[in-house]
Amino acid sequence: MDRIADIIRERFGYDGDVTAETVAAEVEGWDSVAHVELIIAIEMEFGIRLTTGETSDLPNVGALVAAVERHVSRRAGSR
Amino acid sequence: MNDVPAPERPVVAADAVDALLKEVRPDMTYRELDVVVRKRKRVAAPREPASGKVMRIAVAGDATTNYVAAPLPLLLEARGIDAVLHHVPYASLEAEVLREGSELARWRPDLLIVMQTPLAIKDWPGEFEGAQAVEAFVAARVEHVMTLCERARERFGCEVIVDNWHTLPLRPHGSLGRRMPGERNSVIRRMNAELDRRASDGVRIHDVEGLSSLVGSRRWVDWRLWFHAKQPMSFESIVPYGFSYAAAIASSYRGDVKCIAVDLDNTLWGGVIGDDGIGGIHFQQGDPQGEAFQEFQKYLARLKARGLILAVCSKNEPENARLPFEQPGMVLRLDDFAAFKANWMPKSENIRAIAAELNIGLDAIVFVDDNPVERGLVRSALPTVKVVEMPEDPADYPMALDKTGWFEAARISSEDLQRTQQYLDNAKRRELAASVTDYESYLRTLEQCAYIGDFLPEQIERITQLVNKTNQFNLTTQRVGSGDIQALVGRDDVLRVAVRLTDKFGDNGLIAVLYGSFRGDELLITQWLMSCRVFNRGVEQMTMNHVVARCRERGVRRIIGEYRATKKNVVVKDLYERLGFARDKAEDTSESEVQFWALDLSGYEDLPHSIEVNVYGSESK
Repeated sequence: MDRIADIIRERFGYDGDVTAETVAAEVEGWDSVAHVELIIAIEMEFGIRLTTGETSDLPNVGALVAAVERHVSRRAGSR
Repeated sequence: MNDVPAPERPVVAADAVDALLKEVRPDMTYRELDVVVRKRKRVAAPREPASGKVMRIAVAGDATTNYVAAPLPLLLEARGIDAVLHHVPYASLEAEVLREGSELARWRPDLLIVMQTPLAIKDWPGEFEGAQAVEAFVAARVEHVMTLCERARERFGCEVIVDNWHTLPLRPHGSLGRRMPGERNSVIRRMNAELDRRASDGVRIHDVEGLSSLVGSRRWVDWRLWFHAKQPMSFESIVPYGFSYAAAIASSYRGDVKCIAVDLDNTLWGGVIGDDGIGGIHFQQGDPQGEAFQEFQKYLARLKARGLILAVCSKNEPENARLPFEQPGMVLRLDDFAAFKANWMPKSENIRAIAAELNIGLDAIVFVDDNPVERGLVRSALPTVKVVEMPEDPADYPMALDKTGWFEAARISSEDLQRTQQYLDNAKRRELAASVTDYESYLRTLEQCAYIGDFLPEQIERITQLVNKTNQFNLTTQRVGSGDIQALVGRDDVLRVAVRLTDKFGDNGLIAVLYGSFRGDELLITQWLMSCRVFNRGVEQMTMNHVVARCRERGVRRIIGEYRATKKNVVVKDLYERLGFARDKAEDTSESEVQFWALDLSGYEDLPHSIEVNVYGSESK
C-alpha cells in the first residue's frame, strides 16, 4: 500500500493522503491515459502484469492494491 | 530565495528554459520526455518567442490525442518554434471545419494536424471482398478526410498535415493477406497510396506508416491504452511520433537546413589521408570499412540530389583533401561540393566562410564530424549551427543523420533539384559581377606565388598523373602513357611548362601543365590542363604570359591553341577567347568538336594577375 501510495503521489504531484478509499476523481490529472501509465509504472515496480479487466472499473486505490497483492502472492506461491 | 531581486528572475527562467531544451534528444524515453515537458510547464515563459511569432496549431484526431500531442510545443521550441495547441474535440473535425462560426474557425489556426489511427476504423470492408468493393471503401474514406483537410485549408488559410495509417500488428492470414484486397493491411496500404495521390503542398502527409515500421508495429500499438483510453499509440511511440511531427512542421515554418558541412578523415572515408596516403584510407567496395563509408556518402548524395548543398570542412592540406575524390570508387566527387574548405584554420571559421560564400544563415548548416572535440568547439563557437552527434562506428553514420529529422522538407521544387549547380553558378556570377578591383584585392590577399618552368625530373610522375586525371580544365584531354612525358624532356622543338603554386594557406603543389610544338614561326599548344581548385586565380593568365615570353625569345609570331570539347571540359570552352585568341577558321577541321584558336603575338600585352612569378633558372628557389 505504501509503495503504491508513493507512486501515486509522485506521479500526480498529489499532496494529500493516499488511502484505500482514495478515488481517481480526487487526484488531479488521474484520467484514463494517466491511469494506464500508472498501471505500467506499478507493474514495473512490482514485476507483475495486471490484466485489462483488473485495471478497469477499479472503485478506489484499495481495489488496485488488492489486485497487485493478488499477483505478488501468486508469483511468490509459484516459486 | 527572497534575496533574489525580482527583475532578474526572467533571465534565470530563460536560462532554465535553454537548459531544459538541451535535454531534448530523439533517443530519450517517454518518461524522460515527460519529465522535461512537466518541468518546462513549471517555468514561466518570460522569453520572447524565439521566432518572434507564436504558431497556432490545432490538433484533431479520431482518438485520444492530448497525451500524444502534449510534447509537441516543447519539441517545437527545441527547434526554435514557439507554438500553442488547440485540441479539436474528439471526432468533431467535420463540424469544426464545416460549421460557420465554429470554435476552430474563431481560433484561427496556422496549422491543422489531423491524427489518424487504423484502430478507429470500424466499417472495414469484408476481408474476402473483391478489389472493387475495397476500392470503393478506400476512395470514400480518403475522399472524406482529404476533403475536410482541403476545406479547412480554404476556410482558415492554414496549412494542413494529415497522418497516414500504420499497418496493424495482427496478421491472422499471414502472407496470404497480400493476395486478399480486403485484408486489413492490404486496405491500409491502398488507403495510404490514395492519400499520397491526393496530397499537395498545402495538405501534406505525415508518414506514420513509415515511422511505425521503423519502430515496429507491435511496439507502436499498446492495446491496453487503446481499450482503456482510446490512446492510439504506446507511450514509447509518442517520442518518435512527436519528433517526426516537429520535423515536419519545422520544415515549412523555419528555414530549411540548406547545407551539410562535412569533415573528411574518418567521416567521409576511414583513416587520415595526410598520414595514411591514398592507398591507406578506406572508401572502396570489398572493404567492409570502405563500404560503410561509401554507404554514408551515398546517403549524402541522396540529400544532395534533393537540393541540399554539400560543403567540405576539414583540417587537411588542400592537396591531400582533394586527392581521394579523384579516385575511382569514391562516391562523392569534387563537383558535388559547392564549397571546399581544407586548411588548418578553426572549423568555426571555415563554417562562417561557407555560410558567407553560399549566402546562407549559420542555422541552415548541419555540421558532421567524427571528432567530438571539433563538434564541441563548433557548438560553443557557433551555437546556431546544427551539430550531429556522431556514433563511433561509420556503419551507423547514415542512421545518425536520419534520426536528427533535420533534413525534412515540406515540398520539392525544381529549384531545389538544381540547387548545388545554382550556387556554383552564383559563385561564378559573383566573381564576374564583382568589380575587378574587389576580386583582385581578394586574390592579392592570397599571396600567391608561382614557380614556372620546364619539367623537372621529380615532376614527371605527377605531370603524367595530372594529365591523365584532369577532366575539367583540360583543353584537349589527350591521355599519355608512362614514358610519354619523359620522351618530351630535352626536345628543342617542344615547349614544356609546369606550374607549382603556393599561397598563404600552403603549397598547392604542381597544378598546371602545358606543352606544345614549335613549327616555323608558330607554336601549337596540344596539351594544357590545370587542377580545378586553382581556377580563376590568375594562373591561366600568368601561364600565357610565360608562354608568350618564351615564344618571343624564339621569334615565334603566332600561337595556335587547340580545344577539344568533352562532356567535362566546358569550363575551358571560352578560355582561349578570354585570353585574347581569335577563332582560326583556316585550321578548323571538319570535326566540329575540335577548334583551333590563334593569337598574334605582335599585339599581345601581358595579362594582369596578382601572382608573384618565379621562373626556373632565373630565380628558382
